[in-house]
Amino acid sequence: MMDTVIPVENRDVLAAVRGFLRQILESGLVESLFVPLEVGDGMAVPALVTDANRLALANPLLPVMPINNARAVSALTGKRTPARLGVVLRPCEIRALIELVKLQQANLEDVILIGLDCPGTYDLAEYQASPADQRIQLSDYLAAASQGETLPGPPSLRLACQMCVQPVPGQADIHLHFIGVDALQGILVTLKDEGALAAGGFAALKGQNRLKPVETTAVEKLISTRRQVRDRELAAMRARMNANGGIASIFAACIRCHNCMTACPICYCKTCLFRTAAFDHTPEAYLRAASRKGAQRMLSDTLLFQMTRLNHMTTSCVSCGMCSAACPSDIPVGTLFSAIGEQVQAAFGYKPGHDAAEPLPLVAFQADEWTEIGEER
Amino acid sequence: MMSDDDGRNHRFEPHIVAFLCNWCTYTGADLAGTSRLQYPSNVRIIRMMCSGAVDPVYVLKPLIEGADGVLIGGCHPGDCHYQTGNYKARRRYVALREILKATGFDERRIWLRWVSASEGQRFADTVNEMVSELKELGPNPMAEKWAV
Repeated sequence: MMDTVIPVENRDVLAAVRGFLRQILESGLVESLFVPLEVGDGMAVPALVTDANRLALANPLLPVMPINNARAVSALTGKRTPARLGVVLRPCEIRALIELVKLQQANLEDVILIGLDCPGTYDLAEYQASPADQRIQLSDYLAAASQGETLPGPPSLRLACQMCVQPVPGQADIHLHFIGVDALQGILVTLKDEGALAAGGFAALKGQNRLKPVETTAVEKLISTRRQVRDRELAAMRARMNANGGIASIFAACIRCHNCMTACPICYCKTCLFRTAAFDHTPEAYLRAASRKGAQRMLSDTLLFQMTRLNHMTTSCVSCGMCSAACPSDIPVGTLFSAIGEQVQAAFGYKPGHDAAEPLPLVAFQADEWTEIGEER
Repeated sequence: MMSDDDGRNHRFEPHIVAFLCNWCTYTGADLAGTSRLQYPSNVRIIRMMCSGAVDPVYVLKPLIEGADGVLIGGCHPGDCHYQTGNYKARRRYVALREILKATGFDERRIWLRWVSASEGQRFADTVNEMVSELKELGPNPMAEKWAV
């Protein structure tokens, strides 16, 4: 572990970040870099960059998250990464990526994880609808983050972010700090591998860890605020699921578009059962089903789809909330998955996205666990 | 649905869907039959090659459609004919129980039992026990819920 500081001139943090990324690419520390590039109108699009000049438009700090980029890194790494790749990701994207590694959909060999502290992201539609000159200013956003706060909207902060208790990237090789440090004066960077410091041509921070006590307090403050929101929201969701109507009524508005599945970074299956003809029943079959219960929902098997998805990926759910954002019917899918995920993960003592070496709960097993199950008499 | 108190004197008979592994529990059920052991006819048996081949979706589908109970039968730990299928089934069962508990289902409707090929009596006992416990629980509320 080694710290360095990227100097910031005229409070222009973005220029400093761009310079830093350019240095990483030009020094040969990485041969290509995955990072969002601005495309105008306050938006950025994730891109694989090989030409350092393209980094003039790099912007990993926009306070919106249209997609969880772990999927893209999966596409860029596969079984073997062709060339040393740097990826700039938020903490929830890194956690999702680590789950994808365990699912054998990505690998971290020859990958340098560049993680950013994430103070939170805003509702995409509201953000885009606001006039450009009234949008969240990066300097205000970072000033709030330095105090362990997130700038209140409008636009509204995504619920998943309001209840995110992991705003700091735990697994990053290069960690850019924004929470609890005054990034407007200089960006604190922690490098896991000291060799990278020399390879990237960075100077080690003298009198290092000077900023740490302040930072820790601010991070703790942010996490404790969010823990309260998380506990409140998840308790409300659990109450709803156990109320009359239960989970079936929560999905009453579901149109089975599968957007939640598409947006989910973990749901990777190429041939999902629910995208096959398995649930295209014949008219006679619908009639038979209707006569069993007196009525039959059309389309059928909606709850089965959601329950199956719960079964397949709640152990790995990293609470990024992309499913909620993708739902055209505004169903709080992400809150529901987080509420159930927390319970299922606790049953296995499993923390998704923490350690690529930790096996998936439904893949691993021990002979001497839950030995009472199945033996009852 | 039919119950003891609906005024029509119907007795509630639970519907049970059972997924039994070919090598142990299914053979155990066969032994129960060839030994002429009596057990209730509430159970509909589906033969699987291994309890580890029981995808949770197979358990969820009957539960959502209104089956009163689902039984998964496999070889005793250490006896799996595919070495570790039943250990994996056990973990899936633990996860599924948590999910059912969290989503307002009664997790007592799903059972996992190890019954070997020589335990015909244990199979008959398991079905007897399951039927009587499901009668206590009453009909699966999902049998009435059509908007699923």
